[in-house]
Amino acid sequence: MAFTRQYELVYVLSPDASEQEVTDLHAQVEATIARMGGELARTEAWGRRKLAYEIGRHKEGVYVLEVINGSGELIKELERRLRVNEQVLRHLTVRVDEELRAAERLRARRKVSGPRPERPASEGPVPAAADEQEGEQGKGAEG
Amino acid sequence: MADEHRRSGGGRGARGARGGEKAQGARRSLFRRRKVCKFCADKIDYIDYKDARMLLPFVPDRGKIVPRRISGVCAAHQRKLQTAIKRARQLAIIPYVTE
Repeated sequence: MAFTRQYELVYVLSPDASEQEVTDLHAQVEATIARMGGELARTEAWGRRKLAYEIGRHKEGVYVLEVINGSGELIKELERRLRVNEQVLRHLTVRVDEELRAAERLRARRKVSGPRPERPASEGPVPAAADEQEGEQGKGAEG
Repeated sequence: MADEHRRSGGGRGARGARGGEKAQGARRSLFRRRKVCKFCADKIDYIDYKDARMLLPFVPDRGKIVPRRISGVCAAHQRKLQTAIKRARQLAIIPYVTE
């Protein structure tokens, strides 16, 4: 396991799934993570939620979020298992470590430079030109 | 045309209105108030696809993503917002375009 990356895995189970099936799947995920040298950082069971659109004939789903530290191989295996399971309506894995780090950097930079001093300088002629361009596009669309 | 005037007027207004711009400035404020990126104002660095309440104002009933020219979101945040909305759609947290 060369790289440790952080992933967020969200899966949506059919509302017909019993409590038992939900915990079973979670246990399966947990076991897979342990077996492949990963680490389960956090679990959130959002429970039953209304779906924004119907999936098959279902209007609700059981949502579970797992935050995982591990390798890409591990995610590959987890996704394979989720695809096989018939109770899983949807699943999505997102790699978050880089995005969170970028957000952290932005926050740090803001703290250093303060809220005001940098803004007027960077808002000079360049964004103004961009604005103008966009204005023309907007005009076309509106008119 | 009118649109262009308003845009450039806004730019000058931000840096402090110069002489002779007064009439334009007044007209601008009549038409439209200046938009500020919601995410910049609230200092949100990471737009979370799991947070439907944050995303919903940008996908009205029809489900289309509100263009920047309407919402006033800055380019950087619009890009992040876009990916967040698309992720949320996959998980049925917010709807795809309907009708």
